Amino acid sequence: MDFLVQNFDVILTLLKPVLIFALLFQILPLLVLAERRGAAIIQDRPGPNRAAISLPGGLKLRGFGMVFNIADAVKLLFKESFTAPFAHKWWYILAPAIPVVTAILTPAVLPWFAPIVHQPDGGALQVVSGQIFDANVGLLLLFAIGSLSVYGVVLGSWASNSKFALLGGLRASAMMISYEVSMGLAVLGMLLIVGSFSLTDIVEWQGNHTWGIVVQPVGFLLFLVAMFAECNRNPFDVAEGESEIVGGFHTEYSSMKFMLFMTAEYLHMIVAAALIATLFLGGYHLLPVGGFGTVWVRQHIGPVLGVLLALGGAGMLAFAWLITRRRAAYLRKAHSDNASRNREYTVYAVVFALLGLAHLGAGAAAWLLLPVPTAVIAAGGLAIFPWWASLLTAVVQFSVILVKTILVCGLFVWVRWTLPRFRYDQIMALGWKVLLNIALVNLLVTAVVTKLVK
Amino acid sequence: MAKIVPRPNLSFWEQVYFLEVAKGLATTMGHAVRNLVNPDRFETTDYPEAKLQVPRDYRARHRLMKRPDGAPRCVACFMCSTACPARCINIVAEESPDKHIEKRPARFEIDLLLCVFCGYCVEACPCDAIRMDTMDLVLVADNRRAFVIDKEKLMDWQPTEYPVDDEQSQKAPGGILHAKALEEFHSGTYH
Repeated sequence: MDFLVQNFDVILTLLKPVLIFALLFQILPLLVLAERRGAAIIQDRPGPNRAAISLPGGLKLRGFGMVFNIADAVKLLFKESFTAPFAHKWWYILAPAIPVVTAILTPAVLPWFAPIVHQPDGGALQVVSGQIFDANVGLLLLFAIGSLSVYGVVLGSWASNSKFALLGGLRASAMMISYEVSMGLAVLGMLLIVGSFSLTDIVEWQGNHTWGIVVQPVGFLLFLVAMFAECNRNPFDVAEGESEIVGGFHTEYSSMKFMLFMTAEYLHMIVAAALIATLFLGGYHLLPVGGFGTVWVRQHIGPVLGVLLALGGAGMLAFAWLITRRRAAYLRKAHSDNASRNREYTVYAVVFALLGLAHLGAGAAAWLLLPVPTAVIAAGGLAIFPWWASLLTAVVQFSVILVKTILVCGLFVWVRWTLPRFRYDQIMALGWKVLLNIALVNLLVTAVVTKLVK
Repeated sequence: MAKIVPRPNLSFWEQVYFLEVAKGLATTMGHAVRNLVNPDRFETTDYPEAKLQVPRDYRARHRLMKRPDGAPRCVACFMCSTACPARCINIVAEESPDKHIEKRPARFEIDLLLCVFCGYCVEACPCDAIRMDTMDLVLVADNRRAFVIDKEKLMDWQPTEYPVDDEQSQKAPGGILHAKALEEFHSGTYH
């Protein structure tokens, strides 16, 4: 224990990347599931629910359709990895890797929790940053890496040596480059207000004042639209088009290489959602009001943890209730597999009800049992909290931004199944004639107001 | 003549687009929430476990009608195979032991992969011997040969599967009109 407390910063720095990447990219299978089931419930149908893992005792676990993810992965892994004879082989194989690499690199510069300041007894001051790579030009780095992903699409489409793929790639690259202009200008307003390129500063400013969406609503909308375009999502999914260009940039791709493109698309969505949450939705901060920043959370870690755990528990209980309603709906119909469905849904309902109760209990325990942490004021006015309070705060903050990311991902899915796609000339007109102008006016107004206020 | 579709006149708020997007999002979210809370709203049928009923006159897989003694009503006249545009009916005739009937089918095969389910064979039959009212529309097999159904398969049905007012079906063995029909059949007054 003493060793752990003494080498707090080293251990946390080593654990940080693993935990962040592991937890962040766990959203990926959830997102694929949400895409399918989300589409289904919006369109008044139950969605894919047939793939199941059969257990002894007649129990079939469908996992709400999660088993389809496993089935898809297995199918794509074992398909023939076909390379078209007319393709430029080296670039053809390289292309799918680029978007995945850029998508995996970008979360490294996002702040996932407030910097932890720790001083072991008689030791030196230790500071653990909430980013994996703390760059003070974080935002520029993010855009620089993120913009590289278009190369994967363009390279893949060119290397396929197929007209349809090339058309898809050209459309995608032209669109992504067009919308990058509006994206950069949309963020500039936020940068002007905060006065820093560092993502930590941007998030801390939002904690001290208010969320970015409140001071920059127009900038938020512009950035959101630009992000939809950057991710090649509906209504801007011109890179693909089954009805006009066969498949799009991935026409000649199959098996694992195709899967990498698809994975990259969803990873980009997660990263874009995390970026939107960081820049405009307060990052890891709980409330859109000033005065409830990191220090406040650390001081009230017991009640905060208690309330959040209780909220999570209530959510799980509500989910269990929904499952029982679903089970009742199945039992009302005279189906041949009602017995198996009944068993399965009972298991889910019991599991989620128990989880919810456990969370409620843990919340109550956290509120009642956790002592109020006392901060030591170090030289320079820096408040140093006990390591457990800082650590629990980091957990709370990481959970908060993760939830925000998931909600924005949900918005992506929701929009996809609501809006029809734009025609290509409409996309260009919107990007260059409308969004760019609004972004410039927004920037001008923000600059004037910021100058007057400061 | 070309039909001119006038462009809709959009109001200012419709041209701003974001408001309309919000309305669309509200619509879809309304559906999602209602469906989550109340799963009975789904209009879909959980297919393998529950099946939709097709109408009685739906043209599905064929069957051969039976006389009260269980023999096929078919007299091997080749009207159906002549009428068939897909040439999927293959009949081999033989002499009938019944002195009132000239021929009967030794083999009667329908290739369901060739069949276009047009119903011309049913229209052409002078004896009401072939019908397409089995309501069996999901035809599954793992080889092509299995889709060629023979006389036995075509006559493999029970009168209980058909409505009571379907006289021709009920006169077959097992039907509610069978006893009377068999009596008439043996006394020579059966048609």
